[in-house]
Amino acid sequence: MKKTMITGLLLSASMLALSAPAFAEELKVYISSQHQPQVWRQVLDKYEAANPGTKVTIETGGNTSEAQAQYLNTIMSAKDSSLDVLILDVIRPAQFAAAGWTSPFEGKDMSVYLPAYAEANTVDGKVVALPAFADSMFLYYRKDLLEKYGIQPPKTWDELKAAVKKINGGENNADLQGLSFQGKAIEGAVCTFLLPYWSQGKSLVQNGKLTFDKDAAVKSLKLWKSFVDEGVSKKNIAEVATDDTRKEFQAGNVVFAVNWSYAWAQSQGKDSAVVGKVGVTRLPAMTGGDQATCLGGWEWGVSAYSKNQDAAKKLVQFLSSPESSKFMAINGSLLPTYASLYQDADVVKAAPWFADAKQVVETAKPRPVTPRYNEVSETIRTTVNAVLAGVMTPEDGATQIESRLKRILR
Amino acid sequence: MTTSTLTTTQRIEKEPPAWTRMLDLSDRALAVLLLAPAAILLSLIIVYPVARLAYTSFFSLSLTSGLPAEFVGLENYKLMIDDPIFWETTWNTVLITLITVPGALVVGMALALLANLPFRTQWPVRLSLLIPWALPLSFAGLIFAWFFHSEYGVVNDVLNRFGIPGVIWFNSPNLAFAAICLTIIWKTSSFMALIILAGLQTIPRSLYEAADVDGAGRLRQFFEITLPLLKPAIVVALIFRTITALQTFDIPYMMTGGGPGTSTSTLAMYIHQNTVSFLDLGYGSALAVVMFLLSMCVTVVYLRIIRTKG
Repeated sequence: MKKTMITGLLLSASMLALSAPAFAEELKVYISSQHQPQVWRQVLDKYEAANPGTKVTIETGGNTSEAQAQYLNTIMSAKDSSLDVLILDVIRPAQFAAAGWTSPFEGKDMSVYLPAYAEANTVDGKVVALPAFADSMFLYYRKDLLEKYGIQPPKTWDELKAAVKKINGGENNADLQGLSFQGKAIEGAVCTFLLPYWSQGKSLVQNGKLTFDKDAAVKSLKLWKSFVDEGVSKKNIAEVATDDTRKEFQAGNVVFAVNWSYAWAQSQGKDSAVVGKVGVTRLPAMTGGDQATCLGGWEWGVSAYSKNQDAAKKLVQFLSSPESSKFMAINGSLLPTYASLYQDADVVKAAPWFADAKQVVETAKPRPVTPRYNEVSETIRTTVNAVLAGVMTPEDGATQIESRLKRILR
Repeated sequence: MTTSTLTTTQRIEKEPPAWTRMLDLSDRALAVLLLAPAAILLSLIIVYPVARLAYTSFFSLSLTSGLPAEFVGLENYKLMIDDPIFWETTWNTVLITLITVPGALVVGMALALLANLPFRTQWPVRLSLLIPWALPLSFAGLIFAWFFHSEYGVVNDVLNRFGIPGVIWFNSPNLAFAAICLTIIWKTSSFMALIILAGLQTIPRSLYEAADVDGAGRLRQFFEITLPLLKPAIVVALIFRTITALQTFDIPYMMTGGGPGTSTSTLAMYIHQNTVSFLDLGYGSALAVVMFLLSMCVTVVYLRIIRTKG
């Protein structure tokens, strides 16, 4: 009896030894499903080829920034060591730094990156994460329709409204929507609110203090509501999330769309009805104001609970290298985090409008930097959603944002 | 017990094995011993977490602040009183309970009576009763979110076919609320039906036969025989349903995410938001304590009802 038990134990032990990985290092990278994990996979394949003995697997999940944040919050507050490398929205480093969830990159020279990303990833002098890709919001438009009606890409939101009315009058197509933007209570709706707010020269938070301008907020909310009321945008805009905007535009049902850079690759892909008919330009301004856009982009962080700190940092250095940035620009239409790549011949060939995009990214404004960003975001996006659904007036919406932000940033 | 004590005494002279000494214990000690495993297990998985929750609710503990936990007494509870979203979500939760519990009871009762009819093949009826119950809540929420979608949804399509213009369900707090309640009733009435059906099958057929002889009509039979005899089953079903209704999370989370604005958000969603999204564990715990007390009150009321009727 005892003998069989010992033999059994020995057998299972040797089986365990056999099934143990033949790799020296196994790393797990978390990439949200909206971030083209299949294209990042190719970058990881290159890394594996250059570093024999390292195996990198991808875990995907959360197709919105909030869903992704909820998942990572659960994993990280449990001090779970299963993830080594994490992709983080540009708004998260402050929160992750406060919670101590990522390992700092000591002595990393951040001046190689675009200044906005050097800044976004440095919290209290520590490099919390390294940039994965740059981004900002752009105005996508139907080049063919604008040419047909002799319209220049609009510089102000009022010009955009006039352009839509002219095109709608001529096309007479009930399925053609003038402007698609994000009205659902998601992270994108925070930018929806901020675009016209910033365009009036106002800022929301400075040095951690609330600098809310109620007038500008009312005007911003009124502008978006007027698009719905005047039939420029569809009535159920409060149901529209970022990827819905991409799909509608790609299906040829939208004249103008507010979206991030990723929408370009798919609008030129095989499932698109608008290949060769798409223009991308800066977002319009409020009449009399400046053109403003929202700074986006995602970052690579190394989990503080990872058991493979050195290997994970080495991988992140590679993922954040000019080489990877260029590959993702060409194959995933993700904006580079290095200034020189915007003029790179191969990049410009894949996405001609990237040549003009650097200036846009450089002037894009960051959303408020605070460890309590999730609460700031929740307040703004649910209010935008309520105003667009017609549940709340723009005035009440602005009052609500002000009183709730005061409570959060007190 | 007496016999076993007797045997033990007899055996002592013959050097009995150690384990039999256990049988020497008094009734009380034995009871404690036998209940101990269950009691320990329950305290580990229920009493400890609840106590820990109540304890955390007296601390300022937010993972985004980077500060260690600090004892603040009732501060979190004071914050709650001035928090409009707390009141809104609590009211929504109460409203969902008040609408969907009676709703599910009525629909569930009808389904149970239907399933109890003497069909020749009963399994299709019973299977269709089981399916909504077996479906995960979040799936039900997702499915119905598509049903009620203003552009692609089947609900608006059906309305259009009858010449009624479709509506944007999730643009209006009232319509969104109605859509959520309908979904919850659909999802939960089968659970009610299953328990009531089990109750129905314990009622002896002879009672109805006797009532027939006495000339009582169908309706009279229902109110005089079925309903009174079903009362224990109904109370049990109501307790379970009410407590899960107070904890409503999945269906509104998947259907509206609490929107438009926060008008369909529930207390459970607000707790989840404060703990998982905002990482404010102190305030989230205080909110959870309130929900726990709310559930306790309801349970006590129901238990009282059972006791007085029993």
